[in-house]
Amino acid sequence: MSLLKEKGFSPLFFILILLLSCGAFITTELKIERISRKKIPGSSIIYIPSGKYLKYATFGYSSLLADLIYIWAIQYYSDTSIEERFKYLDHIFSIISELDPHYLDPYEVGAVIALYEAKNPDLSLQILDSGLAKNPQQWIFPFEAGHYAQLVIKDYKLAQHHYRRAMEIDGSPPIAKRLYANAAFKVMDFQTSWRTWLEILQTTKDERIKKIASNHLYQVKAAIDIDIITNAIQKFRERYQRNPIELSHLVRAGFLESLPKDLDGQEYLYDPSKGEAKPPTIPWKR
Amino acid sequence: MAVALKIENLHKSFKVGFIPKKKKILKGISLEVEEGEIFGYLGPNGAGKTTTLKCVLGLIFPEKGSIEIFGKPHLSLQAKEKTGFLPENPYFYEYLTALEFLNFYGDLFFKRKKERKAKADELIQLVGLEQWADLQLRKFSRGMLQRIGLAQALINDPSLVLLDEPLGGLDPLGRKEIRDIIVKLKKEGKTVFLSSHILQDIEMICDRVAIIHNGQIINQGSLQNLVSEKILSTEITLSGVDTKELKGLGECFSIHGEKILLKVFEDNKIEKILALVQEKKGKIHSFIPRTETLEDLFVGMVKKR
Amino acid sequence: MKIRAIASNTFKEAIRDRILYLLLFFAAVTIISSRILALLTVGDRVKIIKDVGLASLSLFGALMAIVMGTSLVHKEIDKKTIYTLLSKPIHRSQFILGKFFGLILTLFMMLLFMSLIFLALVFSYTFTIDWNLLLAIFLIFLELSLITSVAILFSCFSTPILSSIFSLSFYLIGHLSWGLETLIQKINPGPVKVLIQIIHLLLPDLENFNIKTEVVHNLPLPSHLFIFAPVYGFFFTLFCLTIASFIFRKRDFI
Repeated sequence: MSLLKEKGFSPLFFILILLLSCGAFITTELKIERISRKKIPGSSIIYIPSGKYLKYATFGYSSLLADLIYIWAIQYYSDTSIEERFKYLDHIFSIISELDPHYLDPYEVGAVIALYEAKNPDLSLQILDSGLAKNPQQWIFPFEAGHYAQLVIKDYKLAQHHYRRAMEIDGSPPIAKRLYANAAFKVMDFQTSWRTWLEILQTTKDERIKKIASNHLYQVKAAIDIDIITNAIQKFRERYQRNPIELSHLVRAGFLESLPKDLDGQEYLYDPSKGEAKPPTIPWKR
Repeated sequence: MAVALKIENLHKSFKVGFIPKKKKILKGISLEVEEGEIFGYLGPNGAGKTTTLKCVLGLIFPEKGSIEIFGKPHLSLQAKEKTGFLPENPYFYEYLTALEFLNFYGDLFFKRKKERKAKADELIQLVGLEQWADLQLRKFSRGMLQRIGLAQALINDPSLVLLDEPLGGLDPLGRKEIRDIIVKLKKEGKTVFLSSHILQDIEMICDRVAIIHNGQIINQGSLQNLVSEKILSTEITLSGVDTKELKGLGECFSIHGEKILLKVFEDNKIEKILALVQEKKGKIHSFIPRTETLEDLFVGMVKKR
Repeated sequence: MKIRAIASNTFKEAIRDRILYLLLFFAAVTIISSRILALLTVGDRVKIIKDVGLASLSLFGALMAIVMGTSLVHKEIDKKTIYTLLSKPIHRSQFILGKFFGLILTLFMMLLFMSLIFLALVFSYTFTIDWNLLLAIFLIFLELSLITSVAILFSCFSTPILSSIFSLSFYLIGHLSWGLETLIQKINPGPVKVLIQIIHLLLPDLENFNIKTEVVHNLPLPSHLFIFAPVYGFFFTLFCLTIASFIFRKRDFI
C-alpha cells in the first residue's frame, strides 16, 4: 500500500474501479427497473384550480393558463383508465371559459365530451349556452345545440329554441332557418312553421331551396288542412254516429265553411271507412 | 555537498490557440541546486521560470527530462514532504482568517491539534503578522498576502523552499523583510530556490544563479564568477570646468547648473580629469566606480539572443 | 486524514457562499406558496403541499448541488488556491474526494433547513408526522449526492457555465428516463436500439430516488428500493468521482 502511495495510483487501478462501479450500477439499475411502481392515473387532477380564487391567481396570464388546462383536459379525458373522470367536467370547462371566454374550441369539445363520453346531454347544452352567452356572435354554439337537442335528446321544442337563436345571428348558414322551421313543424307549431317556410321561399334565390320550401309549405298546409278536416269529421261523427261519405258532406252539414284544398289546388283524399283524410301527393314527389 | 534539486533536460510544450498549435516553452532545462544555498532563477517575462517551478512541484507534467529532490523523484510523497512552495501573485481562501488558513495546511501534515497550533503561531511570528492573526485573508494587503504565503510554504518545515517572485509588488520595506527571512532560512540550513525579476535583490542574497531565456539556460554559476569585479566605468560629478575642455575625456551625462556628471571609461582619462579639475580650481562632488552589475550581465545576455 | 481536512475546508467555504442562501430563500418561498396553491385546487389540499414541497426540495437541492459543484473546483483553479494545495504531499484524487465530502456535508445542512420548513408546513395541516416524508427526503439526499458528483466531474474539465448546463441537463434527463424508455419501445430492433439502450443504462436514473407518488397518495413503499437505490447511488457516484480523479490526475495547471 505504501508503494502505491509512493508512485501514485496507476491508470490500471482507476480503470479497474471504473469498470467495477459501472458494472455495479448497471446491474443495480436493471434490478430496480423490475420493481413495479404504481402510476396513479388522474393524479394531476389535484392541480386543477378551483374557480373561487382564480381571479386573483392568474396575473394576466389567464389565457395561457386556459390553454394549458385545456390541453391537459384533452389528455385527461382521453385516458379511459381513470375512474370517474367526468366528476369535475363542468367545473373544469367552466374554469377554462372563465379564464378565456373567447377561446372557442373548449366549448365545442367540452360539449362533445359531455354528450358522448359522459353521457350528460344537459351539461353539453349548458356548455354551449355559456359559449354563446360569452360570444354572442358565434352561431355555431346554438347551431350545434339545436342538433344535439334534435338528434340525441329528441326534444324538438328545445331544438327549435336553439335553431331560432342560431338563425338570428348574422352569418349563420341558411339551413339554420330551415331546421327551425322543420322543428316547429315537428312540435306542431304550424303557424310558425308556415310563416318561416314562406319567408324562406320568398327570400331564397336557389331553385332547389325554393322547391324544398314549397314542398314543406305543402306539407304544413296539408297538416293544417287535415287537422281542420279531422276536427270536422269528429264533430260529424258526434252528431251522426258515422263518418261522412264524402268530404263535401262536411261543408253541406255546416261543419266546414269550405273544403280546403292542398297547395296545388287538389282535393284531399278521403277514406270513409276509416274517416281519415290525407294529402293526394307526397310532398317530396311533387 | 548534497544536491537539493536536480533538473535534467526538461522539455515542455503547450497547445496554444483556437487551432491548437504546439508551443515549446522549455527546451531542455538542466540545473543543480546545492543544499543550503540560495539559488536565483532569472529571466525575462515568458522565459519559462514559472513553468519550470510548476514542473518541479508536479503541477505540470513535463514531456521529457527528470527532476529529483534530495535524490528522490519529484512526484513522490517523500519529495513533497520536504518541499514548500509560494506561488506568484498568491490568492488564498479569502474567507479564512490567517490562523485558520495556516491551521488548514497544518491539518494536512500534523495530526495533533497542539502541534498544529504551535507551528502556526511560530510561523505567524516569523513573518511578522501576529497583529492580524484573526483577520480574514480577503482584507490582507498584497504584502501581507506574500508573507502569509511564505508562512504556508514553511508549514511542514521543508528543506527545500521554492519561491516564485516572492518580492513582487512589495514596497522597499516589505522587500527587506522578506529578504531577511530568506537569509534566516539559509541560516537554518534550508535551501531556497527563488525566481525573480528584481535583480538588485537577487544580487544581494543569492549564492548562485541561473539565467533562463526563451526556454533555455543561457548562463549558470555563482554570482562571483558570473559578474566580474572589473570596473566598467566611473561616474564623476564635478564643477568649475568647462565642458569644452572635457571633450574626448568622457561622456557628458547631465548638466545641473554648475555640476557636470561625467562618465569615464578609461582609467588614464580619470587622471587627466582629476588633474584638470585641480588646475582650474574646480570641485569633485562625487566619484563612483561602476562594476558590472547583474543587470548589465542580464541585459547583455538577453540582448545577444 | 487529509481528505477530512479538505472536506472541512470546503464545507467552510461553501457554507459562506451567498448564492446558496438565495436558493434557500426561493425554496422556502416555493414551499410556503404551495399553501396558497393548495387553496386554489379542487382536490385534496395536503397532497399538493406534499407534492410541491418534495419537488422543491429535489429541484432546489439539485440547483445548489450544481452551483456549488461546478464553481468550487473551477474557483480553486481560477484563483490559483489550488497551487499551494496540490504542491503538498497529497494525491489529486484525495483533493477530489475532499471536495465531494465537503459539498455533500453542505448540501446536507441546506436540505435540513428546507426540510424543516417543509415538514413544519405539513405538520400545520395534518398534525401528524408522516415518516414516509422523511424517507422521501433521505432518497432526495442520495439523489443530490449523485448530482454533486456529476457536477464535480464536469467542473474538472469545463468552465462553470458549461458545467452547470451539462449538469442541469443530466438532472432533467435523469427524471425523464421514461421518455427514453418509450422511445426504445418504438424503435425497431437493431444496432440503433442497442445503442440507445446502452445510453439509457449509462445515464443516471434519478427516478429511482423519487417516491413522491407513493408518499403523496399513501401507497405502500417499494421496500426493495431502499436497498437498491443507495447501492445504485453509491456506485454511480464512485463511477463519476473515479472519472473525475482520472481526468484530474494528468491535468496541467498552467
